[in-house]
Amino acid sequence: MNALAKLTAVETKLLLREPGSLVSVLIPLFILVVFGSSIDATDTTLLPMSLAIAVGLVGLYLLPTTMASYRERGILRRLSTTPIRPGSLLAVQLVLQTALVLIACGLLMGVASGVLGVRLPGGLLPTLGVFLLGTAAMFAIGLLIAALAPNGRAANGIGVLLYFPMAFLAGLIQPVDQMAATVARIGEYTPLGAFRSALHQAWSGQAPDVLPLVLLAVYTLAVSALAARLFRWE
Amino acid sequence: MAIIEVHDLTKSYAGRTVLGGVSFSVEEGEVFGILGPNGAGKTTAVECVEGLRRPDSGTVKVLGLDPRRDARALRERIGVQLQQTQLPENLKVWEALDLYASFYKAPRDWRELLDEWGLAEKRDTRFGKLSGGQKQRLFIALALVGDPKVAFLDELTTGLDPQARRATWELVKRVQASGVTTVLVSHFMDEVEELCDRVAVIDRGEVVALDTPAGLIGEGAGAQQMRFTLPAGAADPAALVAAVPGVTATAREGDRVTVTGTGDFATAVTAQLARHHVLVSDLRIDRRSLEDAFIALTGRKLDD
Repeated sequence: MNALAKLTAVETKLLLREPGSLVSVLIPLFILVVFGSSIDATDTTLLPMSLAIAVGLVGLYLLPTTMASYRERGILRRLSTTPIRPGSLLAVQLVLQTALVLIACGLLMGVASGVLGVRLPGGLLPTLGVFLLGTAAMFAIGLLIAALAPNGRAANGIGVLLYFPMAFLAGLIQPVDQMAATVARIGEYTPLGAFRSALHQAWSGQAPDVLPLVLLAVYTLAVSALAARLFRWE
Repeated sequence: MAIIEVHDLTKSYAGRTVLGGVSFSVEEGEVFGILGPNGAGKTTAVECVEGLRRPDSGTVKVLGLDPRRDARALRERIGVQLQQTQLPENLKVWEALDLYASFYKAPRDWRELLDEWGLAEKRDTRFGKLSGGQKQRLFIALALVGDPKVAFLDELTTGLDPQARRATWELVKRVQASGVTTVLVSHFMDEVEELCDRVAVIDRGEVVALDTPAGLIGEGAGAQQMRFTLPAGAADPAALVAAVPGVTATAREGDRVTVTGTGDFATAVTAQLARHHVLVSDLRIDRRSLEDAFIALTGRKLDD
């Protein structure tokens, strides 16, 4: 087996042994099931909300914690003394964390349609597009946290500290229609808020507004460029 | 044949000189020590040799390759154990070896390494559950899994208890016995004295001495002394002792004699006295250690 395949296999095992990955799947599932019992089949709010939570948890918490602890432990440096590039490890991690997001969301959608009888998205293709764009934006923020945090614990702390206000503003803790208008308005401009609202629109089969899509694209590009500039291998 | 050639390496960070023109070469098959206090520039020098850092000026050749330009080719042929590196907590011993073996074109069979380094029983143990000594053995095994020509071992025994340190020394001897040239970075005198064929002493970014451990201990000596008590009624042995090569001075106070000299004079003096049937008692030799040599060379103690 070549190095990249072996690295992917080993990193997959490590991801499965990491309790954080289970948590990132279980929290949104828990929210879906608890609140899902009191909604009807035409609901287009709860499922996009739980998907956004799953993407937010992986992107803001699991990804940066893993990356920063790899740097902290000197694993990236150790790799740069071997014929393989340390960048390969980051690439493999990005692929695996994306896979984790997809699995978590597949599970959420399966439970929503199979158990709760919630209607699946109206526009499948736009929904998928919005989903990928939002995931990219969250991962970019995760990479920035990984670039700034001195170690795994700090990355974990920053991730959690960022996640809750962002989730609140985005309407993931309290539905948007129950939030103060100004707060909800501000929330639309945050990455997670733009993601939730675009996902909600695509889900309901509406043509999504341009603003949240542009915002997500700008966040993705600007933040990942910043992360790439600031990232240190040691 | 020199496997590593380092010439006039300089490096400074933010105006602070870390390396001020370091040169040394390492011969095939030897254990070469780089000794110096913390912050002397040892690790920086070695990282320039490994290609992890770019020196400001100077040249490095390892196995005839430039560590920066020919990085890819060189990394196939060197093995590195870095100071303060960890592995993921949940990575099992065999997985680490199997993974690192896959990075090289012609790796060693990691199952052999598992046996050789006494890790067979720990095969399925996660890294986080290993003892300090076991982790260190795994790191050495990982440094050797690519079947390298040169192994770099940086502060191998820092943080280990005395017993584990001794055990690790035996491992380094085995690495050398297997024909791998070894560069050993350390700030422990006893370690370098025990393991190294030659030592470069680095202090404040410069090589202040480069010799065998025995040579370093002997170097600039004159401070070495032996003392003994003459038998009652014996004649003054000054003339006898003065004829011994290396002896620089003899002093007598009653029946107590102090001889000062350089090199291996003490053995020669004892032999000379024995030949002339002067049976001395209470013989004491103040042997210089590498620690004394270091103080003599740099004017300060190693762990300052």
